[in-house]
Amino acid sequence: MKTIFKQTYKQLKEQPIISIVSIAGTALSLFLIMLVVMIQQVKVAPFSPESNRDRMLHVKFGSLSTKDGETNSPLSLHAIDAIYKNMKTPEAVTAYTYFPTREPLSANGSKSFTANVKLTDAAFWHVFDFKYIYGKPYNEANFKAGIPLAVISRSTAIKLFNTTGDVTGRTFRLKYITYKVAAVVSDVSSLATMSYSQIWIPYTTDQETCNMVWYNAMGMFSTTILMHSPKDEAKVHAEALANLNKYNLTIKDSGNKLVNRNRPYNTEKESINFAANLEPDLSAEHRTELIVFVILLIVPAVNLSSMTHSRLRQRISEIGIRRAFGCTRWSILSQIITENMIVTLCAGALGFIMSIACGFIFTDSLLTPAYSFSYDNGPMVNISILIHISTFFYALAFCFVLNLLSTSIPAWQACKNSIINDLNGKR
Amino acid sequence: MSKKLFKQIRNEWRFNIWIFVELLIVSVVMWFITDYMYVIARNYIEPRGFDISHCYLISMGKLTPNSHEYNPADTTDNDDRAELLNRIQHRPEIEAASLSQNSYPYDGSNSSMIISHDTIQVGNDDWILRRLVTPDFVRVFRYQGANGETPEQLANILSKGNILISDNLFNKHRMPSLTALIGKTFHLDTDTTRNYILGASLKPVKYNDFESATHSYSGVVKLGKENYKDMNELCVRVRDNMDHDFIENLWRDADKRLRVGNLYISDIQSFYDLRISYQRLKMNTVRNYTAGGLFLMLNIFLGILGTFWFRTQQRRGEIALFKAIGSTNHDVFIRQISEGIILLSIATIFATIIDLNLAFANLNAVHDGIYFEPIRFIATVLISYLLTAIMIIIGTWFPARKAMSIQPAEALHEE
Repeated sequence: MKTIFKQTYKQLKEQPIISIVSIAGTALSLFLIMLVVMIQQVKVAPFSPESNRDRMLHVKFGSLSTKDGETNSPLSLHAIDAIYKNMKTPEAVTAYTYFPTREPLSANGSKSFTANVKLTDAAFWHVFDFKYIYGKPYNEANFKAGIPLAVISRSTAIKLFNTTGDVTGRTFRLKYITYKVAAVVSDVSSLATMSYSQIWIPYTTDQETCNMVWYNAMGMFSTTILMHSPKDEAKVHAEALANLNKYNLTIKDSGNKLVNRNRPYNTEKESINFAANLEPDLSAEHRTELIVFVILLIVPAVNLSSMTHSRLRQRISEIGIRRAFGCTRWSILSQIITENMIVTLCAGALGFIMSIACGFIFTDSLLTPAYSFSYDNGPMVNISILIHISTFFYALAFCFVLNLLSTSIPAWQACKNSIINDLNGKR
Repeated sequence: MSKKLFKQIRNEWRFNIWIFVELLIVSVVMWFITDYMYVIARNYIEPRGFDISHCYLISMGKLTPNSHEYNPADTTDNDDRAELLNRIQHRPEIEAASLSQNSYPYDGSNSSMIISHDTIQVGNDDWILRRLVTPDFVRVFRYQGANGETPEQLANILSKGNILISDNLFNKHRMPSLTALIGKTFHLDTDTTRNYILGASLKPVKYNDFESATHSYSGVVKLGKENYKDMNELCVRVRDNMDHDFIENLWRDADKRLRVGNLYISDIQSFYDLRISYQRLKMNTVRNYTAGGLFLMLNIFLGILGTFWFRTQQRRGEIALFKAIGSTNHDVFIRQISEGIILLSIATIFATIIDLNLAFANLNAVHDGIYFEPIRFIATVLISYLLTAIMIIIGTWFPARKAMSIQPAEALHEE
């Protein structure tokens, strides 16, 4: 084994330009693949307050077919209650406004500023796991009574009260209504697209928004369903569809009908759900991803093959001598592959480190949500959540595939030559 | 010389097949990216028809009974909005201010309408954006008239109750310009009882930076004070030389001087931020495609560099012989580079066939509903060819220089 390392090192030193080129090529390819994976992963990777993404199903928009055509928008509380909230299978169901609004706030009579505000119910705090710094969120009783309580993010608390201390119980003015701080939570990444906001208040304190209803079924609210286990997905779907059909019967007289489009969607499907009038096509998305990966894999592999091929041509007499002394083809083949593997692994490690460094430095521009409601709150994602041990093994597997692709053919060609020709340095 | 070169390429086919395969794949992908970028760039450089510099969006909210400042007696929403507009217009830094509904640029909410004139009706199959505004709206975003009308003149026309329509509205009806119809009667939606006079035709206003102007149809209609309650957008243009801390300063007055009845200012955003937020998805795609293109180009560079480096070493004797029988350094250099370029040219021929198939299968970028346009196709194939060729030339540069420095006597002696 030691000999192989030595030999590889000598080989690398012999041809510095070629070594640099192969290492750079491999590292670059791994670097880009890792970035693509990160950009994909961040849409489904669990992080607070969406740690249970694998157990979540979402209904961001509903579609209602009316005699004037189809209308697509969030739903009314009435429809959410009838269809989703009374389901038996899930652990919890929450209704909230998907689009946070921007509203002015101020405390102690100081100058106003704006922050994102989301209207929620009490179950919201069960479905999404916020990190509480001070206090507790509003509970079901507070919510039902419509008590003006607010959960605010840490940076909003600092901006509002000019202190990092405990501000629970203090009051501030939001939309010219006095709210009391119930809890302070850690700032939420704008990539947590469902739960992101800077202030969360009970929707019972904003009847105007609750009453913004058209055709009875459409309104301002979306819903997230927390299942007991990801395995329940089919069951929840069936129950939701049954409830939806039941609901459609109740509105039959109006001539309107809710169109299901296989809702609710799981987190991955929801992440590519931009238009409510189309069901997101997950398989097309996967196909595109596959093409990208294949291109990122094949092009450097062909590149490296070409170089390995040239390199082996120079070593053809060495191979001849070894074979003349009784070395088998297989042993030579495996040696070449191992040699290359070592180089590939070094390059892979380099690419891996590069991608992580890039992820840390350029988080903001790299991992932006497709649509952002926030102008002052970045993605703030800790890249470490995207780096699992599995990511490392994927990277390793990738190196292995790249290596096999790029060396096996030239190595085989180098070995199958007759010994005499090898010794003569002929092909 | 070229005949010899071809022969050499053929003799080395086993090695060249790798480069060829790589060049083929890269050529196809590069073309795909170039095609996408071409469409993006073409749309992006088209005039937008509006100007958002120094522009801000002020959103408004209304107090609810939950607020102790709520005044149940105040039911004059139209007056409140008019008063707020008036107060903002009178601030010294404001050049123009307007109220509107679903009208400002980079807004995801739209209204559409149908416009008819004589027997022509547009808006059933095409999307005409309807902008309901107060006259100064066109001054805020500096709309331009097709006949060279200034924003001020357009605002004047609007205030008389005449409408403005984008010049391209009837371009599918063999009428590239609407200027001939200025002063004529139009009908909006299906209401034939009310006549609207076309006051001026507008240079097309694009929906966003990446949409083409050709099919961005729009119409601007003035709303009277009786409709102010439906207009929740207050757009302002700040004077060029006074655009400092505008948002900060306005917030300072928002609670006092800018509170009218139950109406309050709920948000102030600059249009630069709105634009970034609105176009983020597209910008991300552009960024990803650029990164992909650069990656491929770098790979070509590395691949060519690596392969030709070896080749030069192997051909030391050969090159020395060339030089010994009278080739100049220049000849040697050109020969090295031509080899790569010839390979690329052959690969491009095959790649073009694949590209054509992709275009006819509508798998590439689309511009105004068209996937294959001869000029665009030729241009994008050429651009991607050139980009790849540049990488090949840079990649061959180092080995070629090395080849030039070979001393014939020494190399031949070694042989």
